[in-house]
Amino acid sequence: MSSVQETIFGIISKEAGIDIGKITLDSTLKDLEIQSLDAVQIIFEIEDQFKITLPDRDPNFDTESVKGLVDAVERLVAEKAAAAPPAQT
Amino acid sequence: MRRVAITGMGAINALGHDAATTWSAMREGRPAIGPIANIPSDLLNIKIAAEVRGFDPLAHFDSKRLILLDRVSQFALVAAREAIAQSGLEFRASGFGERTACIIGTGIGGENSHNEQSSRFYGDKNPRVHPLAIVRVMANAPACHVGMEFGLTGPSFAVVSACASANHAMAQAFDMLRSGKVDFAVAGGSEACVTVPTVKAWEAMRVTADDTCRPFCKQRRGMVLGEGAGIFVFEDYEHARSRGATILAEFSGAGMSADAGDIVLPSETGAARAIAAALADARLAADGVDYINAHGTGTPANDPTESKAIRRVFGSHADTVAVSSTKSMHGHALGAAGAIELVAAIGALRESIVPPTANFIDPDPDCDLDYVPNTARELPVRAALSNSFAFGGLNAVIALRRA
Repeated sequence: MSSVQETIFGIISKEAGIDIGKITLDSTLKDLEIQSLDAVQIIFEIEDQFKITLPDRDPNFDTESVKGLVDAVERLVAEKAAAAPPAQT
Repeated sequence: MRRVAITGMGAINALGHDAATTWSAMREGRPAIGPIANIPSDLLNIKIAAEVRGFDPLAHFDSKRLILLDRVSQFALVAAREAIAQSGLEFRASGFGERTACIIGTGIGGENSHNEQSSRFYGDKNPRVHPLAIVRVMANAPACHVGMEFGLTGPSFAVVSACASANHAMAQAFDMLRSGKVDFAVAGGSEACVTVPTVKAWEAMRVTADDTCRPFCKQRRGMVLGEGAGIFVFEDYEHARSRGATILAEFSGAGMSADAGDIVLPSETGAARAIAAALADARLAADGVDYINAHGTGTPANDPTESKAIRRVFGSHADTVAVSSTKSMHGHALGAAGAIELVAAIGALRESIVPPTANFIDPDPDCDLDYVPNTARELPVRAALSNSFAFGGLNAVIALRRA
């Protein structure tokens, strides 16, 4: 499990109050019975943790799998790293 | 029970600084949603709102007075002056002030002052907080300032129920008048909450649109924040008639309910109970209503739920009643929303013109009523409803009849 994936699973579990063992990459937020208010809190925690901004509205938010979310976060984290100035040696 | 007349109307919002300008913009279906200009927008992801533009407080208040007034109280006073002037009532000179309630709703209160003081304290590390911060921020300030200016010494307070505050406030004033507790009321709602932190908070909830507000339409992307005030004068119907006042409409009923369910998700049955209660209170049959000014926020959740609630109460008449959301033009002014929207309901009753739902593209299969898309419609309106459904599941619906 990548560290991004692990963090996201942890956030979903904590914010939605569901057992982390129930979350799989293929689960959708709908499968996990996550309500909209929990969903926006999950997004907020993910953004805050990774210091990224997720797109404002994804029409497939409910039906998107957890894997889709992990991929999106990994992509945004990589883009942020690429945009950052190279470390001085 | 006594009947209640509306004899004064005042408004300020993105569509205009008075009720007449507001109503003409509504009738023309002319939205006032645009790029945020009154506050810095560099930190905002959602860069649009329906702001009150070109408002110069010094044109309305001297600087000594202004220091006491948050924007929310300024709006309330501007609208109250218009409404009371139109009513022709001189509360101080006539001695009516003692028999007058002053009830003004607001969702948040003095948000601009709160933000300004927090910013000085935390941002500028300035340890001195302004001595008038408390009296500017308090949510009852709009009601107090209106009462002080006009000498209204009867029951006076604020009502807070988020996006239904104005309708709850006006319903309360209506009940007091009808029961004989007072003979007049000055009531409505005011809101001024377009600040950077508030817009950021709305962004975080992911319910605000980044393009414009398109209620009931398939392409809708959420609500657009607005601001402003609407204030009305209510009066014992017989009194208004005997003094020859212009009666704008009859306030004939109010219905309220709470979902006691979810803090954000609206409930069809909760909304339907408030609509049905307003009809019953006004002794109106569903087919006697020709226009509903919808809550119509443009969010994915509200619009289908509200449409179903209307259908549930109106039955087959749901297909013939005209329903529109003027939030498509003046945005969602939260605690002032119901008051600004009452201008639309009164305009429809008086001029037999139903204002449209602007910015409408394609219908949403989940919203299957007649939303009067984009163009106003000539239609005799005998009675109208105005819906407000707040976060927290608090619902308030007002019923008006043509005078």
